[in-house]
Amino acid sequence: MSQTLSLTRIESKLFVRDWTGLFFVFVLPLGLLTIFSLIGGDNPNPDDGIPPSFLPTMAIGIGIALLGMATLPMILAGYREKGVLRRLSTTPVKPVKLLVAQLLLHLVAAALVIGVILGAGALFFDAALPSAPLPFVVAAALYSIALLSIGLLIAALVSTAKAASVVGNILLFPSMFFAGVWTPGDVMPESIRWLRDVTPMGAGMTSMQDAWSGQWPGTVSLIALVVAIAGCLAVAARFFR
Amino acid sequence: MPENTAAEDLVVVRNLRKTYGATVAVDDVSLSVRSGEIFGVLGPNGAGKTTTVESIAGLRTPDSGTVRVAGLDPHTHRGEITALIGVQLQASELPDKIKAREALQLYASFYPEPRDPAELLELLGLTKVQDTPFAKLSGGQKQRLSIALALVGNPRIAILDELTTGLDPQARRDTWELVRTIRDTGVTIILVTHFMEEAENLCDRIAIIDGGRVVALDTPAGLVDAARSEQRITFRLSGALADETVLTSLAAVSTVSTDNGRFVVTGNDDVLVAVVTTLAAHGLTPIDLHTEQTTLDDAFLLLAGRNFEGAN
Repeated sequence: MSQTLSLTRIESKLFVRDWTGLFFVFVLPLGLLTIFSLIGGDNPNPDDGIPPSFLPTMAIGIGIALLGMATLPMILAGYREKGVLRRLSTTPVKPVKLLVAQLLLHLVAAALVIGVILGAGALFFDAALPSAPLPFVVAAALYSIALLSIGLLIAALVSTAKAASVVGNILLFPSMFFAGVWTPGDVMPESIRWLRDVTPMGAGMTSMQDAWSGQWPGTVSLIALVVAIAGCLAVAARFFR
Repeated sequence: MPENTAAEDLVVVRNLRKTYGATVAVDDVSLSVRSGEIFGVLGPNGAGKTTTVESIAGLRTPDSGTVRVAGLDPHTHRGEITALIGVQLQASELPDKIKAREALQLYASFYPEPRDPAELLELLGLTKVQDTPFAKLSGGQKQRLSIALALVGNPRIAILDELTTGLDPQARRDTWELVRTIRDTGVTIILVTHFMEEAENLCDRIAIIDGGRVVALDTPAGLVDAARSEQRITFRLSGALADETVLTSLAAVSTVSTDNGRFVVTGNDDVLVAVVTTLAAHGLTPIDLHTEQTTLDDAFLLLAGRNFEGAN
């Protein structure tokens, strides 16, 4: 356990030293929250079916998606590419402990993203906090784990950091589309709204919005997240070398 | 151990064979490394050097043959072996932003009885750059840090794979000096290299590997002596030699080749007389005959059966 802890400590330091990763994961969601709060804050259109929780859940959703589809797979694939995992395999430490350390630190980063968005929303933009805290924690945790599982899956299947970044981007943009980032609420055509409930990012954002308005997230979305986690981890475990 | 090996043999490899699909990486390698020596594994690229040492370190499972390190099977005793052997692998980097000191402290935390990271930084001349990120270190500094990481677990054996590749001559000589210092602290060293000069300067004994087999195993002096006792003669012939086996079947001859119609024959001290009298018996006269002094390069050409130059 102490090996995992010292790995987590060092890996966290390295994570913080990489300012580009930090910028996208923390500053981008915060920027989105700020800009859209400023331009749309006064005039929510009551007829478009966009809940007030859309903006913060979108910011959280994007920040965590970047952790899962960009930083985690790029770090792990880069470690394989550079022989860091190979060097580790010559020591008494099993390389899987490095995976655990990265997962731990990315979960903490996900929690920080949520904290930053909730805090900034409440402090500067008078945004409401989730009215059902427990369902929100469940939804946010499932979403974070699902996206990090996708990250592990990418890292298991590609062999270079560059390939990880390409695959991550290819997945990120359709994910954002199906999650309704550009077509929130009723703006999304009804015929494809079911995709929003079952794609991991859409299911996560929908679940968090449900919790925000005081309900337990819909069963379909929760099942979709659990299936995504189980599927990605199973394939990643099978192919990770 | 069931094998009748000398007590001081720390590593014993017998009839090691390893294939990757249709490629035979190691055909049949047997060697033993004595405690306290610097043992060289020399050969051109693709000869099977790295696969051999990776099998010793337990990173590869042999198809057949046995490997014992201090009496243990490296594959089934992974835990003990990782503490017993420190490995500096070819092309194994570190995260860009990790500092030398952090990397050593981190790796020290992996082992039951690590060496003091500060002492190792001092020994390897890295104290001044201990807070420099890995990506900003020079090639020589990265290589020295890599050696430090191989030593931080306080191993009995250090495997150093191509550790001076890409270094300038001065850095290379400094690294050699360092390897001697490490050996003097009681660490047995297995050095993988394709530089003859490096093996000759540094090693107590050398195994020359080519095509997945050990073609020679001796001290550097022994290898050079063996090579110097080889005579090499070159000549043209007055007529055509119907059958080359007339020469190759002679006891004094070890190799026969032709280069632009010129025969190149190597063999022992008697080769000149044997070749000339045999040719005369076939009614042929050697023209423009030269005997040549054998160089170290010729020795390797002779032992490995081909030139080393293509390997660099």
